[in-house]
Amino acid sequence: MRDILVARGVVKQVGHRRAARRVLDGVDLSVGEGELVAVLGRSGSGKSTLLHLLGGLDRPDAGSIVVGGDELVGASDRALTRLRLRRIGFVFQSFALVEELSGEENVLLPTRLPGSPAGGAARAARLIEELGVAGVAGRAPHELSGGEQQRFAIARALVNDPVLVLADEPTGNLDTDAAADVLALLGGLTGEGRAVVIVTHERDAAAAADRVVVMSDGRLVAAAHR
Amino acid sequence: MRAAWREARSTLRARRRRAVLAAVGVGLAAMMLATSVLVSDGLGGGFNRSARAAQLPDVIARFDDQPASKVAARVGALPDLETFTTRLEITNIPLAANGHFSGSGVLEVLDPGRRGYAIVAGRDLGSAPGEVVVEQALARAWRIRVGSTLRIGRLRTERVVGLSEAPDNVGFPLAEPRVYVSRAGITASFPGRVDQDVNTVEVWLRSPAGLDATLEQARSESYGLRGLRLTTRSGVRLVLDQAAGIVIALLIALSAIALITAGVMLAASSRAEVDRRLRGIGVRRALGAGRGWVAGAAALESFAISAPAAGIGVLAGGLVATPPSTRLLELLNELPPGGRIVVPLIGCWALAVSVAVLTSAWPAWRAAGRSPSRLLRGADLAVNARRARPALRRLLSGLAGLGARLVAARRARLASTLVVLGVSAAFILLMLALASELVSLQSDPGTLGRRYALSASLPATQGRSVAGLPGVAAAAPRYEVTALDSFSLGETIDVIAYPGDHTTFEAPPLVAGRRLRGADEAEVGSGLANVLGLDIGSTLALELPGGSERRLRVAGIVSSLDHDGRIAYIPAAALLAADPGAPEQIAIVLAPGASSGPVIAGVDALGGHVDDTPGALDGERALISALTAILRAIAVVDGLVCLYALVQALALTAQERRTTLGVLRACGAGTGSVARLLAGAAVCVLTPAAIVGVILERTILGPVMSRIAADYAVLPLAAGPGEIALLVGGLALIGAVAVAVVARQAVAGARVVSGTI
Repeated sequence: MRDILVARGVVKQVGHRRAARRVLDGVDLSVGEGELVAVLGRSGSGKSTLLHLLGGLDRPDAGSIVVGGDELVGASDRALTRLRLRRIGFVFQSFALVEELSGEENVLLPTRLPGSPAGGAARAARLIEELGVAGVAGRAPHELSGGEQQRFAIARALVNDPVLVLADEPTGNLDTDAAADVLALLGGLTGEGRAVVIVTHERDAAAAADRVVVMSDGRLVAAAHR
Repeated sequence: MRAAWREARSTLRARRRRAVLAAVGVGLAAMMLATSVLVSDGLGGGFNRSARAAQLPDVIARFDDQPASKVAARVGALPDLETFTTRLEITNIPLAANGHFSGSGVLEVLDPGRRGYAIVAGRDLGSAPGEVVVEQALARAWRIRVGSTLRIGRLRTERVVGLSEAPDNVGFPLAEPRVYVSRAGITASFPGRVDQDVNTVEVWLRSPAGLDATLEQARSESYGLRGLRLTTRSGVRLVLDQAAGIVIALLIALSAIALITAGVMLAASSRAEVDRRLRGIGVRRALGAGRGWVAGAAALESFAISAPAAGIGVLAGGLVATPPSTRLLELLNELPPGGRIVVPLIGCWALAVSVAVLTSAWPAWRAAGRSPSRLLRGADLAVNARRARPALRRLLSGLAGLGARLVAARRARLASTLVVLGVSAAFILLMLALASELVSLQSDPGTLGRRYALSASLPATQGRSVAGLPGVAAAAPRYEVTALDSFSLGETIDVIAYPGDHTTFEAPPLVAGRRLRGADEAEVGSGLANVLGLDIGSTLALELPGGSERRLRVAGIVSSLDHDGRIAYIPAAALLAADPGAPEQIAIVLAPGASSGPVIAGVDALGGHVDDTPGALDGERALISALTAILRAIAVVDGLVCLYALVQALALTAQERRTTLGVLRACGAGTGSVARLLAGAAVCVLTPAAIVGVILERTILGPVMSRIAADYAVLPLAAGPGEIALLVGGLALIGAVAVAVVARQAVAGARVVSGTI
């Protein structure tokens, strides 16, 4: 199994001088093709920070992060932007749909960015159909249920066909049934050879993962395979 | 209060960038206020201030040289007389100083008594010989200082002891250079010439209300005084208005508009600041803070920002506007406001701070009245976002379209930004139109309705010869004299006469009645009709330079900028019957497509000299240059206001929609994509603002300003395609700068997305 994501000795510090604090303290993590890894941890343990570093949204103070063979650390802002556009998909806890856009337009948003892969509109239509939200695709986010909003957010994350999907507390704002549906969806993403990383503090959510790593005080302290 | 102050201080410390942005807005508004007040106060009150300081006489009488004793006896008999003084005015005197020279200087030889001017540097003339006082405008132009030397004619070099402002005429170079000497000091140099002769009397009355009776008495007492011309104080003001009346009125109106723009900008800026922190207000309300406390903290915070910012703005406005307005006042021989301008400037500061504080406290007070749960949602637009119609959604489907939709989601802010930008755009457009009009007035005779391109200094008898020259479509003698209204001696009238149909040569638009036909008819300008209350059929009584009077019936009223519309067209026969020596020229209309070169050569061959036909402000280059500097200063400030308002609107949108920007960044949007989104927002704001600006200028500001400036003529101040194109280009530039600045900040801010998504 080829590694899609390899992180080695990742350190992230916040604050300066006496107020400095290590949020991540030498994190190592590898995620292979077709693998879903759950990062479990309490609030403030550093898991969201790790996710942002893995996705190139933020830069670590030390260590190395490789996504699909590309090193993120030291890459230019332009290179990181291109990487996020073509290789990485994000799913956020609060869905983060743009309120002025319909569900369908939200899915299409990454396809309208310069440099996005061709065929985005067709992929968006297919994803909306596959995720079962075609009937409400023209509605505004505030007219959708939480589960529907998260499906559109997942479709948006997948529309440029990324090799790595990062999900930050994807079920945090959902009821039990909707959360189960979303977890099943995320689990299904690995079938196409993608790597999926979800961070969560819910043990039920972690149960859907192939592998669970536990984060505490900025370190990965335990790992368990399903 | 102390807690609110601590809260305000800590908020400022935590939001330094925003505080700086708000301070820039207040500073710019205060700068505009100060600029407006300086210009309007300086120019609006300039004449009265100078007249008071100079003790300008109520009546000035000029006549041919007379023995002082004879004049004193006549003047002493006038009723209601407080005092009078005499002087001898000698023209065409060579003056030279610091390498500058004029052969047409005016030397005022003063007798003891009141002077009629104010000393602005140095001291007044004493009885010692060799002393001279120089008018301030001349001193500046020729770099003369107190203690410098000045050569007057063949006299020995005189020492400059003081600089003066005399508001009885405009200054150099709008008028000839003027210097003052005492009779005692100069008698020795002009033996026999300046002995006791005088040709000017300045009269002060006990009560200005008795002016009419005094003038009537003066005319009856004037037998034997040849070439008598009486000018009242209001007549003096008229002379000054002729020099700069149109443009001064325009500037004062312009300043009033600037005040309104500044007020709107302050209000919009402050409201936006409160909008930013709705969530924070919600937290404070949830923690038990009262509405008054919230409003008080907002007011204190606003005061802490606006007080120093407004101070700097007022100072900057003063620095920007003082040099050109002072220069303009000097040209008009008027005094700048001096130290007393501090009070209005403090008023500007107080007004800017008050508006900033009130417009912060009031929305905070209103916001604090909402339910805390609603406030805690803050500026989140989620539940309020309205969906665009399908057709519009298709149109706005790209990144730029999304930007437009984001900025349009805040309708109140969009409206206030549009008001600021629209009014500012209209204002800029007006200044561009005004500048174009000034250039036309200076050089284009067509603005005066003049159709003749050249005038030849030849006797009337040569008219036929000139008409026969190749390239000449028409030529005729043109007579022009300055007359007085017989009923009101303060009003001077430019009387123009042609032997035949004057409309071939000059055809200002007819606004009432008809063109003149009969020998005893006149066409008068609207300005003259307004001042003298003339209507169609009224009698126009002209006192011509030779002393004779001519009465004519008003047949038509024309719109003309010439001499502020105080003109009259009469038949040449009527003028020559009353004043056979009226100065004449040959007016020449060129044939279509003809060049002036052969015509000039032909006139030269006839022994004449050709001049181009002047515009309304021809010969006032110095004035135009000073006005242009003022217009530029105001335009620069206005452009900065536009830039600030747009940056503020875009920055607020980026701040409120940081989640959206964060998502876009996470999806792979680079700086260019964010800039494209913001460009869409900018276009959404700037396009309607430009349209509003054009409509506002063309339908309201231009016509109103035109009426204010010259109610006696049609002054086209509606912006044309050139000005509109310049405005659009300027707004595009401002948009590009604003997008670049905000995009850079937004991308830098979106790098660390923790907590924002």
